[in-house]
Amino acid sequence: MQRARLLFAMLAALLLAAAPAAAQEKQPIRIGAIYILSGAFATYGEFARNGIQLAVDEINESGGILGRPVAFMMEDSQGKANVAIQAARKLVFQENVDLLMGLDSSGVANGIAPVVPELQRPFLITHAASPDVTGKLCNKWLFRNSVNVNQNMKAAALVAKELDARRWTTIGPDYAFGHQSWEFFQKYLKAEKPDVEFMAETAFPKFGAEDFTPFINAVIAAKPDGVLISEWGGDLVNFVRQANNLGFFDQDFELLMTLGAATEVLYALGDQMPEGKWVGTRYWFLGKDTPRNKAFVEAYHKRFGNYPSYNAQNAYAGVYTFKAAIEKADTVEPERVIEAMSGLEVEAPIGTYTIRREDHQALVDGFWGVTKASGDYPIRILEPMRVFAAADITPPPEETGCNLQQTAEQ
Amino acid sequence: MSTFVAALLNSLDIGMLLFVIASGLTIVFGVLGVLNFAHGALYMLGAYFALTAVRWIELPFWAALVIVPFAVAILAAAVERLALRRIYARHPTQALLLTFAFLLILNDAVRMIWGPGYQIIDPPRALTGTFVLAGAVYPLYSLFVIASGAAVGLAVWLLFSRTLIGKRIRAAALDRDMALAVGIDVPRLYTLVFAFGAWLAAFGGALAAPMRALGPAMGDRIIIESFIIVVIGGLGSFPGALLGALILGALHGFGGRWFPQFDIVWPYVGMALVLLLRPHGLLGRSA
Amino acid sequence: MTGRGAARRVTLLALLAVLAAWPWLAPYFAIFLMTEILILGLFAASFNLLFGYTGLLSFGHAAYFGTGAYVAALLLRDMAPPFLAVLAAAAVGAAVVALVIGWFSVRLTEVYFAMLTLAFGMMVYALVHQWRGLTGGSDGVAGFPLTAPLPGVAVNIADPVNYYYLTLILVAVSAYVLHRITVSPFGLILRSLRENSERASFAGVPVRRYRLAAFVVSGLFSGLAGALFAPFNRIAVPEMAHWTQSAEPVLMTILGGSQYFFGPFLGAGVFLLLRQWITSYTQEWMFFLGVILAFLVVFLPRGLLGLFDRWLGGRS
Repeated sequence: MQRARLLFAMLAALLLAAAPAAAQEKQPIRIGAIYILSGAFATYGEFARNGIQLAVDEINESGGILGRPVAFMMEDSQGKANVAIQAARKLVFQENVDLLMGLDSSGVANGIAPVVPELQRPFLITHAASPDVTGKLCNKWLFRNSVNVNQNMKAAALVAKELDARRWTTIGPDYAFGHQSWEFFQKYLKAEKPDVEFMAETAFPKFGAEDFTPFINAVIAAKPDGVLISEWGGDLVNFVRQANNLGFFDQDFELLMTLGAATEVLYALGDQMPEGKWVGTRYWFLGKDTPRNKAFVEAYHKRFGNYPSYNAQNAYAGVYTFKAAIEKADTVEPERVIEAMSGLEVEAPIGTYTIRREDHQALVDGFWGVTKASGDYPIRILEPMRVFAAADITPPPEETGCNLQQTAEQ
Repeated sequence: MSTFVAALLNSLDIGMLLFVIASGLTIVFGVLGVLNFAHGALYMLGAYFALTAVRWIELPFWAALVIVPFAVAILAAAVERLALRRIYARHPTQALLLTFAFLLILNDAVRMIWGPGYQIIDPPRALTGTFVLAGAVYPLYSLFVIASGAAVGLAVWLLFSRTLIGKRIRAAALDRDMALAVGIDVPRLYTLVFAFGAWLAAFGGALAAPMRALGPAMGDRIIIESFIIVVIGGLGSFPGALLGALILGALHGFGGRWFPQFDIVWPYVGMALVLLLRPHGLLGRSA
Repeated sequence: MTGRGAARRVTLLALLAVLAAWPWLAPYFAIFLMTEILILGLFAASFNLLFGYTGLLSFGHAAYFGTGAYVAALLLRDMAPPFLAVLAAAAVGAAVVALVIGWFSVRLTEVYFAMLTLAFGMMVYALVHQWRGLTGGSDGVAGFPLTAPLPGVAVNIADPVNYYYLTLILVAVSAYVLHRITVSPFGLILRSLRENSERASFAGVPVRRYRLAAFVVSGLFSGLAGALFAPFNRIAVPEMAHWTQSAEPVLMTILGGSQYFFGPFLGAGVFLLLRQWITSYTQEWMFFLGVILAFLVVFLPRGLLGLFDRWLGGRS
């Protein structure tokens, strides 16, 4: 009898625990955001949160979207695809969000892309750069308003072709992003400058590796002319500190740090960031002279005490992208919103961009520049700076491998 | 040549740091019979306490390096009195589970107090910069780590072999009941030894802070590596910890340089081989 | 005795009935939650065959869980055979890995056994992490189709409700088999090994062979759990073979009670519901889990079911 009561008690406990949460308020338009909120890359999530918060508050102060206020909630992806998938399910099926945005890592984006159609919500990627999510893994629910690997590497190749470097190697994280960065860099640079050579000795430390010393020593020993560095976030911070210690930046080779101008990294490194090195970014807060950008940078700096990174801008612009789409569709009904997002033109701090119909990639400009100390800013700034127009660095739709007609029929 | 020297220095730098940490783990196991899963978390606490001391209290790094390990040791002594003491009589896996619970608590406590992001401490000014040895450029601070590791190791060895308290500890490790019978206050000794193990972990953490990034769960990797070291060297063996740490350092320093793709697997292969061929470690007492 | 057995059967049937009606009773999201509870409950129960019944603490069980996950994901990606065939292949694959690892590991006991299984588990992790060409490295294997359970059975298991039922049936059958094993003569010998392996050895029991058999059975069902988990998540990632994944069944089992057959299942349920509940307030849910675990180890080594048992004046 005791065993029976035991099982019954278990059952009752389970039922109680699973009882639905209090009825959801239907009023606000709900945005679910998935970013990295813990670990070496947590500052990216923080900047994204700031960007979303700023946009949501601005929108709510000026009457909301279609007269409805906007609310958002954040989930931690931990930089892992399986965690992000569970977070997305929770946001859609438990929190009943209308819209999804986020994703900081290509690995996460590639993992979640095939699951997005099951969620039946527009999903706007604001950071992850994997070419595949607007390429072979594209689907009608997925969008991106951030520079992707192809665009970033095309710009890198345009920078590299003018440098006096023939033999190139790379240091990058050992997952999709690091390998694809290197692959596209080779492809575009070879086309621009056929006499370059790409070394077989490359270094791909584990994502989140703490000790880069052996890899740095290996690259110094290999004596290349140029090094493409696609480390980012906490890894890049660690890398630069250790590279400084080992005299890496005093060596006689050219350097391209593809995401070196993320302000998260620049703040973390302060004057440990070497001067005179080429660094790339997906938005630069001094990159555009438009009133829209100045207003954004000023509002952001006033509220959060630092300058917005690309992740902050992209998340901020992401919320405005949703606003524009919902107003165009005149509803938050998911099918209608994604229709409106396709081909949508959005005015954002980074500039006015169009979301391309063929692959849902936004046509955004790429930014590269040379690091320089400045008396006016607490971080390294870019001088000179080069802005690459979207049209010059975005591969044509036929090259992306995305076929939305075909995936729509599935 | 310079490549070889660089790899050698890298091995020593990693190895001596791990030796300091792992020696604490092996001493605690040798005396208390507890394999402390939270040892890596104590290392993390050492690093974070140092961060607070340097950045917020604005102590010089040297002072932090001295004070921080004692602060962590006191905390550990309290934990031993309140919780660990209650389960010595049980199956050894229970202690592994209890200390695993401590690990979970400490990891998230650090997240709550210091935030989820990564933080950095700069090395003291006297130790910034590099030196050149046989053509290899290497950070000065690493030399300091190697020297500190050697100094701590020597001090611990002297403590155990030359002092009365060291003899008592060894007596308690050999036979708890006999030690009690000859009038050694074994419970107090246990608290002391557990706190000393924590001291070593925290010293390692404070020492590592200027060259590693600080983040919650930074101890998770260290605890696994420490397990590997003490298993390779022999659970409970102090010289074994030195040998194990140097082997692991070399696996990272040389293996990481020439076979980076296998860097994450060598230590486990080494540990498995030792366990299978000499289950009590290279320098362990056979049971 | 028969009355108690009958009451027990009735309660079990009631539990099964609730689980069967779950998609109608519970909100949509709870279907995902219950699917996960069932899968990880199976994982923990198979771990407990070694821990609770045989007295061996494995800290590398993610090796078999991860093997199951990867075999399933890779088969689905590259060959797309019927789903039940995928599950069978994954479970057998995990059992083979368990046979190899177990053959070495059962020579040792206690902390040494835990450390050796940890080492082997991390070798499997390193293998799936480094073999980019096959496993996609840290990106994992994603984007595979979910095939029909059997040829000619046109059930779309990508539908969460259908996947839930598939999981429920398989976990129920596996739990039944595991339970039969624990009460069989074989299971009784395992228990005698836990209590005193020396005595069993003197009585002529080939201790290592029995331990190895338990190890392989445990690996087989862990592999099945992993093979259900990867398609549920739509991805297999190296973390599924990492030691942190190995720690989960340990925690769940301690939570529920390692001396009870249903302890690991209850533990899995409490673990995941707690996580669900606490993470909606704070990211730091492991803190609370740690506090609960420490409390259980010190004061309630028999877990939650042990507590219930005592409350209800159960067997002593």
